[in-house]
Amino acid sequence: MDIGTLLSYPWEIMMPEFIILIAATGLSLTDLFLPSRVNRRIFGWISAAAVLAALISLLTQAGSEPAQILHNTYRLDSFSISFKALLLFGTLLVLLISTSYLARSDVEEQGEWYYLFLAALLGAMMMASSADLITLFVGLELLAIASYILTGIRKKSAESNEAAMKYAINGGIATAVTLFGFSYLYGLSGSTNLGDISREISALSADHGHALTVAAFIITFVGLSFKLATVPFHMWAPDIYQGSPLPVMAFLSVVSKTAGFIILFRVMLSIFPTVQGFQPDESLYQSVMIFVSIAAGLTMIIGNILALRQNNIKRLFAYSSIAHAGYLLVPFVAFSQMMFESTWFYLLAYVFMNLGALAVLHIIISENQSAHISGFAGLYQRSPVLTVCMTIFLLSLAGIPGTAGFMGKLHIFIGALFADPSRYVLVSVMLVTTVVSYIYYFSIMLHMYMRPPKRYTKITWPIGATLTIALCVAGTLLLGIFPGAALQFLQEYFWFNDMFTLN
Amino acid sequence: MDFFVYQNSYVFVAAFLLLGLLLPITALTVGRWLRPHHPDPLKSTTYESGIEPFHDARVQFNVRYYMFALLFVIFDVETVFLYPWAVAYDELGLFALVEMLIFVVMLLIGLIYAWKKKVLTWT
Amino acid sequence: MTSVPLNAYLMLALILFCIGLFGALTKRNTVIVLISIELMLNAVNINLVAFSKLGMHPSITGQVFTLFTITVAAAEAAVALAILMALFRNRSTVQIDEMDGMKH
Repeated sequence: MDIGTLLSYPWEIMMPEFIILIAATGLSLTDLFLPSRVNRRIFGWISAAAVLAALISLLTQAGSEPAQILHNTYRLDSFSISFKALLLFGTLLVLLISTSYLARSDVEEQGEWYYLFLAALLGAMMMASSADLITLFVGLELLAIASYILTGIRKKSAESNEAAMKYAINGGIATAVTLFGFSYLYGLSGSTNLGDISREISALSADHGHALTVAAFIITFVGLSFKLATVPFHMWAPDIYQGSPLPVMAFLSVVSKTAGFIILFRVMLSIFPTVQGFQPDESLYQSVMIFVSIAAGLTMIIGNILALRQNNIKRLFAYSSIAHAGYLLVPFVAFSQMMFESTWFYLLAYVFMNLGALAVLHIIISENQSAHISGFAGLYQRSPVLTVCMTIFLLSLAGIPGTAGFMGKLHIFIGALFADPSRYVLVSVMLVTTVVSYIYYFSIMLHMYMRPPKRYTKITWPIGATLTIALCVAGTLLLGIFPGAALQFLQEYFWFNDMFTLN
Repeated sequence: MDFFVYQNSYVFVAAFLLLGLLLPITALTVGRWLRPHHPDPLKSTTYESGIEPFHDARVQFNVRYYMFALLFVIFDVETVFLYPWAVAYDELGLFALVEMLIFVVMLLIGLIYAWKKKVLTWT
Repeated sequence: MTSVPLNAYLMLALILFCIGLFGALTKRNTVIVLISIELMLNAVNINLVAFSKLGMHPSITGQVFTLFTITVAAAEAAVALAILMALFRNRSTVQIDEMDGMKH
């Protein structure tokens, strides 16, 4: 490569990444040379502004033709634009919660807090628009390593340290397993480019290297399901969510999970649908989907059932987030025309409802200094507005009509039923477990409305969390009542099938 | 042909492996048969140049060494990228040199970071 | 000069990977667990380099991938060790089975 080819690339398609990169580097250097007595609170607003700017510059790219630069390692298509928008929006809300969290916490490294979030976000964004195993891997690790540090950023807290250690070990194992799968993919095709891999593996004859292809699929899927925290690789999630600071937990349960689905879709859908399966008339993707659908079903069942017996509210939300990962695997299994739409819509709804609920949780936990569920007792008498907001989020998480969560689930149902073949079993598991999930969501409401409060002090509304709650309430209700608007926007500007073209 | 040569060379490995296993086993077993066996407490103490043993054999290092070790691990591994560049330097030319300089400047920023965070001072 | 067939390398990598996985899942000392993870990553490196030299489609990309794996593994190990040090300061233990502060 020489300077000519380097300059000939249309660099403007990487604009959102550049904004985040410049903000992260700028903040880290400023933090280094700024005297320690200066309050780092302004960093929060600067990084939120940078994320917002990146989001706006990303949205101007919507509807553009798919393009690839840097020897086809970086790829901008409808898939990457739409999912990067989710990542950016989720991080924006997490940063807003952070500004109120840091004002009342024991975190000493307040500057580092923000640029580590930006670095993690950059990793996730690189994953969303990479078409090469190496860049995918580097993006994944940038996200993972920044998250390990963020989980353990409360250095004095034994819980936070323990969570970070567990996350680093589990994440390390997951990375190694994923990479082992990648190494077979590379070996079968001699290339790390996803398009080339797909072509080479499809060209393999059925008896030659077929076992290795199946092994590569399964090993890679196992590695990635660690990241998604789906059963049977979910055990790490509750401990880590409980031990990490609340905004970090919000980041892990929303942004990191979205990134997990991005890499799953990108790797699996780019490579395997064209490879021949066990039977001559089906693809490998269809042949192995039975394993994935069992994993999805178990994830919904176990996540929801274990959530029933949690008294710690952070653990409860950890199990609830495992269950939601199970719901999100359903469209991936169904592989219908609506797969991308329903996943994107559900993830957007999840961003609104989960981050909203976690922002309320932040207010409750910092009031009570404990994460026990009894902290919600009598919230209605103390602050009716907050209670109504939390009720909206809980109803949406449970999937009651009129909320974003309901529309998201409905889309997943329809997609799975109209898929070929229909996934009746999976859909019925999803219905039953959704009903089970009412029990624990409603038990929080029971505490809020029916139990007497421990004290009657007024609830304070920190500005960042308030902004988040307001945005999330608006989003949850709007998506629930006018879901057509979001879907129309999606259909107008994004053609997800362009993921499979080019190269 | 290649395959048989490969098989043959593994016969040597197997022979050495067998020898390596057998030798210590025989030596120790035969020694056990031949030597007298009368243990007493004085005989089973640790031998430390004739001096009475006075502390643990394992010495704990100061935890500050870890910081240097960690820094070393990271900066040492970065040279992995410099090595292939240095080998192919003649073909890559000036442009790659500039790229590598950018890379080294980034590493330098990392070093300055560690320095400003007072990792390099021994206090 | 005799050449070792690809299968031998793949088998070596597979065995190394399994040893690493076994160690990572069963050992009680965190440092040993981290070493086991390194073993798994090195198994990946062996695979990549073997494929890049002797695979069906030999190419240099595998070796480039290896460089990235090595670097990222070092970064991960450094972060994990730093977290372990912080944990040791608070809890005075490096045993995995004593890290049960959040059991419910």
